[in-house]
Amino acid sequence: MQSEWQGVLDEVRRSVSEMAYGTYFSTSRLISMKDGQVVIGVPSVFIKTQMERKYNDVIKKSLSGAGMSYKSLEFIVGAGERRTIRRGVEVLPSTETMTVRPKLERSVANNETGLNAKYRFDNYVVGDNNNLAVSAAHAVVEKPGVRYNPYFIYGGPGVGKTHLVQAIGNEIVARNPNMRVLYTTIEQFYHEFVETMRKNLSGFTDKYRKVDVLIIDDFQFITGKEKSQIEFFHTFNELHQKNKQIIVSSDRLPMQIADVDARLSSRLMGGVPIDIQMPDFEVRCAILKSKAELMGAEIEESAIEYLAENVKTNIRELEGQLQRLMAFAEMRGVSPSEIINDGYLDNEQYRKTKAMSPKQVIDRVAKFYDLTSKDLLSTSRMAQIKTPRQIAMYLMNEELGLSTVRIGREFDKDHTTIMHGIKKIKTDMKMDFHLRQQLAALREKLYA
Amino acid sequence: MEVRVLQERLAKALNIVSRVAASTRAALPVLSNILIRAENNKLVLTATNLELATVDYLSAKVQKEGTITVPAKLLAEFVSNLPKGVDVEIVTKDNKLTVKAGQYRSVMNGIIADDFPELPQIDEKKAVMFKVGVEDFKGAITEVVVASSNDTTRPALTGVYFNTYEGALYIASTDGYRLAERRFIEKVVSEVFTIVPTTSLQEVLRSITDDVEEIEILFDDTQVRFRLGEIEITSRIIDGNFPDYRQLIPKKTDVVVDLSKEEFMRMTKMAALFARESGGSVVCETKKIDKQFLISAVASELGENTSYIEAVVSEDGKVVLNSRFLMDALNAISEENLSFGFSGKLSPVVIRNAKNKDYTHIIMPLKS
Repeated sequence: MQSEWQGVLDEVRRSVSEMAYGTYFSTSRLISMKDGQVVIGVPSVFIKTQMERKYNDVIKKSLSGAGMSYKSLEFIVGAGERRTIRRGVEVLPSTETMTVRPKLERSVANNETGLNAKYRFDNYVVGDNNNLAVSAAHAVVEKPGVRYNPYFIYGGPGVGKTHLVQAIGNEIVARNPNMRVLYTTIEQFYHEFVETMRKNLSGFTDKYRKVDVLIIDDFQFITGKEKSQIEFFHTFNELHQKNKQIIVSSDRLPMQIADVDARLSSRLMGGVPIDIQMPDFEVRCAILKSKAELMGAEIEESAIEYLAENVKTNIRELEGQLQRLMAFAEMRGVSPSEIINDGYLDNEQYRKTKAMSPKQVIDRVAKFYDLTSKDLLSTSRMAQIKTPRQIAMYLMNEELGLSTVRIGREFDKDHTTIMHGIKKIKTDMKMDFHLRQQLAALREKLYA
Repeated sequence: MEVRVLQERLAKALNIVSRVAASTRAALPVLSNILIRAENNKLVLTATNLELATVDYLSAKVQKEGTITVPAKLLAEFVSNLPKGVDVEIVTKDNKLTVKAGQYRSVMNGIIADDFPELPQIDEKKAVMFKVGVEDFKGAITEVVVASSNDTTRPALTGVYFNTYEGALYIASTDGYRLAERRFIEKVVSEVFTIVPTTSLQEVLRSITDDVEEIEILFDDTQVRFRLGEIEITSRIIDGNFPDYRQLIPKKTDVVVDLSKEEFMRMTKMAALFARESGGSVVCETKKIDKQFLISAVASELGENTSYIEAVVSEDGKVVLNSRFLMDALNAISEENLSFGFSGKLSPVVIRNAKNKDYTHIIMPLKS
């Protein structure tokens, strides 16, 4: 394409002065030429203006001269017209608004469904931690309201609950455009409900009870919102009777949430509650790769592994650290792994856990369970002391990277005892959601 | 054309406008000329280097309208040498411009106005406009341009990034080693994400005259225009992505020290004297128990220097910085009291104005 354009430029050269050519034309490029629509890129708005006002005819003539047919001629600044502004109302009231350039477009929720289009199945990384939840989600998409109704998922913060429930909603809408899907958080539900009561509005009931799929996010915030809970209970019943799909996410099981009515709790447990856990190392790597791809960022394998190894709290944090790393690399104009090698990513979080002493871990674990360090270091085999003790061993091994022998010295125990303790926690964790939750909370305390 | 205008006014306008034309890199002879247009009782003076354009709308007594271009420098220097207070008469005839004032008279060979580049228009109905007081403008731009880069291989860093965030307009620049950000205008509704060349902003700063009180800034997708009184400066914008810099600003730092700028500057300057050997590196250190903030530098040949100031220090710490960057930051910051924060040897150092907290300057530490 550029060689064709060079032919046109040679023609231009014949009809304008050498200096005008050097000033206006030498930096121009042919951006595209489709169906006779010629788009030419120029470096600045000043050159664009000259092209449009003064040299339009010259270029048209030269295009013909070079044997290229054209229907229209357009000049743009840079590689492509960027949308760099969006006009608000502060200047003069005007209905004209410019679209923001795509990159800047904050993914906004669809007004009707409340869904955000960026949450899809194809950008949701499936791993051991969530494959059950995902396959059930696919079943819901296939036949909404038939299996897994209600679809209830739970798991700690930032493990991807919102992404999954919204992906279900988006996929259902994509497949059945006529289905009415509504996504809302329990907070939103509550505020709308209160507003309706206060202002005596109508429409609330219709809005929530005439949908085919209702998605409720962050259900745990129902705590203390008695009236909303009753309203939600009735909404739930009506939808369920009509075989409408209900999807609920929460950070814990309904019966673990304070003041959730037993009837509602049992309704929500009616489908199969499925939990999502924090992804393991491989899945974290896969997530990082997919996020990096989404950002259009180039990142080395070693940098991905570094992040996956060091950020264990949740996916949100993982994403945040990735963004931070990429921003650093962009600013310095070097590759992500160079930033890591230079130690610039070494932020407070990594430093603090690494610098934390075993004693501090014991201290914090003890505090968390309302015990004293002495209790943990004792030989007591009471379950309420034994488990926290094993948790402390596990965290020292996982978070501080201490050997079992070294941990053994802290507890004045043989390293095989430590190995047993760590293994016990690892196995129990798989079965016991409660334990996982406590560990997540403890980790956050260690990092805080 | 036949125009009469007061010498002082004309000289001032020509001085500002001709600066843009004076650029020697102009490949096209007409670009080193100034376009003079007389119409509607205005004498409109225009110059451009195709990166930016300056236009001055000067009130004048226009007897006969017309346009011409003449060498910018020649005209500007001739007029500035005329005695003050005289009435200058400008007349054109056959591509020649005659300037007369009392017993002084020049005839200059011009180039027809058709050869002069046309300036881009800006559609005010679609453009985004902000207004800002001249002192705020000067202060904010000066605080930010200091961190801008002149490395043309990374064009996005050679400009200042105007960006809206959470309903306010921010400006930021970085050269990869430091970053300066200023909350520029509170409460804006329109959105802007535009990189304006630093050189253009510096030209705007230079062109502000005493009578200007407010500056209007208009953005569209390809250009930005600054209105300062009778002067209008239009600049291209930089096509490129500015780094997602907010990610780089530490939310909090382990060590925070409140300092007086003057004292900090004095200590830095002294340490810098001994830092020449080491490429300008000075050590900043905090001692919690002694309630001290110290700056030191060692030069193996010259000797060494240590200064301290009493300060409330949150924690012990040490970080090595380039003294030139530190001095640039301190020079730029407009408040007397500032806070200096860092975490560890390699995390970015954060300097903020203590009172308004609307200015953030970040410096990457040197590896020691």
